[in-house]
Parts: sequence; C-alpha cells; structure tokens
Amino acid sequence: MRRFYLITRELHLYLGLFLSPFILVFAASVLYLVHGLAHRPAPRSTDPARRVDNLALPPDLAAMQGRPRVDALRSVLDRLDVHGEVDFVRHIAKEHRLIVPVRLPGRDAIVDLDYEQRSATVTSKRQSFGDALIYLHKMPGPHNADVRGNSLLVRAWRIVADATAYLLMFLTVSGIYLWVALKAERRVGFALIAAGTVSFFGLVYVIAA
Amino acid sequence: MSLRLDDSVVGNPRERALAATFLLWNRRSHYYLGLFLLFFCWLFVLTGLLLNHPRWQFAQFWPTRVQTTSEHQIVIRPMTTEGESAREAMRQSGLSGEIQWPPTQAASGPLKFQVSRPGLVADVTVDLASGHAVVQRSRLNVWGVMNQLHTFTGAPASDTRNERDWLLTTVWALSMDAVALGLIWMVISSYVMWCRLPTKRRGGIVALMLGFATCAAFVAGLRWLG
Repeated sequence: MRRFYLITRELHLYLGLFLSPFILVFAASVLYLVHGLAHRPAPRSTDPARRVDNLALPPDLAAMQGRPRVDALRSVLDRLDVHGEVDFVRHIAKEHRLIVPVRLPGRDAIVDLDYEQRSATVTSKRQSFGDALIYLHKMPGPHNADVRGNSLLVRAWRIVADATAYLLMFLTVSGIYLWVALKAERRVGFALIAAGTVSFFGLVYVIAA
Repeated sequence: MSLRLDDSVVGNPRERALAATFLLWNRRSHYYLGLFLLFFCWLFVLTGLLLNHPRWQFAQFWPTRVQTTSEHQIVIRPMTTEGESAREAMRQSGLSGEIQWPPTQAASGPLKFQVSRPGLVADVTVDLASGHAVVQRSRLNVWGVMNQLHTFTGAPASDTRNERDWLLTTVWALSMDAVALGLIWMVISSYVMWCRLPTKRRGGIVALMLGFATCAAFVAGLRWLG
C-alpha cells in the first residue's frame, strides 16, 4: 500500500508538472473566450495580397466534396506556401471559384482559387496571441467533423488535447487519493467537496432545469 | 540554487514564521481548491473530450432532441423596444434564457428570436400586433446539457447584434472564470511545493521543460511557421 501511495505521489507530481503549461493555456484561453478579450480581426493589418498563376490543379477539383476535396487541395496549398488547417471550402460554382480559409494558431490565410483560370489570390493576416490561444482551445472541436484534422497541426493537437483531458482526470483522482491519506485535512476536505458539489449541481440545476 | 523561502536562508524568526504560514496555506490552497472545483473540472474535462469527438455515438444529443410547439396569446405594451417585447413574450410564454437575435429582422414582419440555455433551444415568433406567439422548443438530453454548459457564455465577442442578457449566463461565465483562475493558482502553488522538494528538482525540471517545449511548439512555434 505504501508503495502504491509513493508511486501515485510521484506520478501526480511529474505528470502535473508536465501538464501544467497545457493547463495554463486552456485556463488562460477561458478568460479570453468568456470575456471576448481577443476580438477578431486582430489589430495587425493584413499582409499584401499575392496572386499566383498557372497553377497545376488536381482534376475534378470542382466536383469533389468534403474531405477528398480538402486532401486534393493540400498539394495546391503547399505550392502556394500556405500552411495550416483548412477550415472549410466554399464553392462559388457560377464564378468557378473555391474560397479556402486556412488557419494556424497565429495566422489566417484565405485562398481564393479560380479553377478555370488556374490562378489563386492569397491574403493572410497575423492574429493576436490571445486569438492563437482561443484557436487551440477550440480545436478540433465539434464543427466540420468530416474535414477536421486535415493538417498535421490539428491531428497532433487533437492527441495533445485528449491527453490533457485524460491526464487531468488522472490528476484529480490521484489528488483525491493523496488527500485521503492526509488525515488532518479530511474534515475540511469533506466540507469543501460538499460545498463544491452543492455549488456545482445547484448552479447546473437553476441554469438547465 | 537556494530559494528565498528555504529555512536555511531565512534567518529572521518573523520572516521564517511568515514563510512557514505562506507555505502551509500554499499547500492547503492547492488541495482545497482542487476539492472544491472537482465537479467543475470533471464537467469541463469530460465535455472537452465530447466536443473534440463529435462522432462518439453514446453522446449524441441533437438527433434525439424532443421538439414541441406551443402557441400563446400574450399582451405586449405598446412603445416598448424589441428587447423589452422579447422579454415580455418570454415571461408570458414561460421561457427563460439567453436571447439570440437573428442577423436581420424584417421591418414589418413578426418579431423572431431564439432563446437558449443548456438543454433548451426555443425559436420564438411573436406577432406584436395580434399578440400571437409561437414557441418551438427543442429539448436536449443530458449529453446536450453538458455539452452546452461547456460553451455557455452568452454571445460571442464577434457578435455585435447580441450581448449577454440573462443573469444566470453571467453567473455561469463567472464560474468559468473561477475555475480557470483556480486552475492557474493550483499550477502556481504546485510549482512552489515542488521547489521545496530538493530530491525532486531534477526530475521535475525535466518534466516541466518537456511540457513547456511541447506546448510552446504549438502555441509559439507554429505561429512563426505562419
């Protein structure tokens, strides 16, 4: 039992230290999100637009849908030196255009692709640090699930975000176990758990009932 | 490297006592906060996972929503603003929650808006001339309630048409702040406790540096890539 306690304490310490920057990122971004502190667009100006002609485009790009179209666009984006997660693709069929917003945590790019003319106009904008935190907090998120994770960044971040959640769960459970071992703190601890439980369920009840 | 709080460095008895009190309450605040915020943390951790995995079948809530429609005859005082009319219509229809206005409102048509709260989305149409109101409610299951609690902050900052207008939204938003600040404090207090363990410093530095390097790769490194 003593050995189990010691191992749990070590894991709580080292995993907690490893996880702490991620907890700070998620917690700080909550403050930005709740109070709208990172208004978009960010104050920095848009970079000059650039136009690229004679693009080699995959065949049937216009006819494609969903994830296959995003995957097909990846080689085009690489040639345009645009990196990041494709948010979505808007097809304006009458004008033979595809509008492709591409995001990195600190940068927005919009690729306006004319597949008839085989040309593209790229506009990009740097975003604030707060906006970068918000972006990471929201990714991958519930929207556009069929195309989400089309970049290495978001695929990797999905793993990291999941790991943060699972490890945080472990930290709470191991924290309870370590607290139970502190006999002198049990009474206050139980009172705080009770107070937290009442606050939580009381609040959820009045908001959602 | 010696720390200022280290017993060997702090010679003054008063400073020593202060340091000891600080360290005691630093440690206590770490687990007191953790115990108080336990259910809040579990909610946000679990719903964070659900939001990142929208295909998980067991947690589906939108396809299983229960829709009902009710009609109400309401009395709206003349000369009130759209917001006041909406509040009055909600009161008389037995609705409460955050008002979401559509991007545009027809100049001569009925007043249309949405009322939302975790577990409920109601589309309201009020004919101000006749006082006839139609309320279409969509009730969500417990997964829907939890899911919406994660994101329930009122209007997003980019939305200029809407603003946070329900008292309980503000209370919940403040709770989110409290959880976030509580977690930040728990991280800081853990650093202080760890610094007091000389035998764990080397391993701790490795764990911390690994964490910061990985995190910085996403937050800062990928920003420069752009």
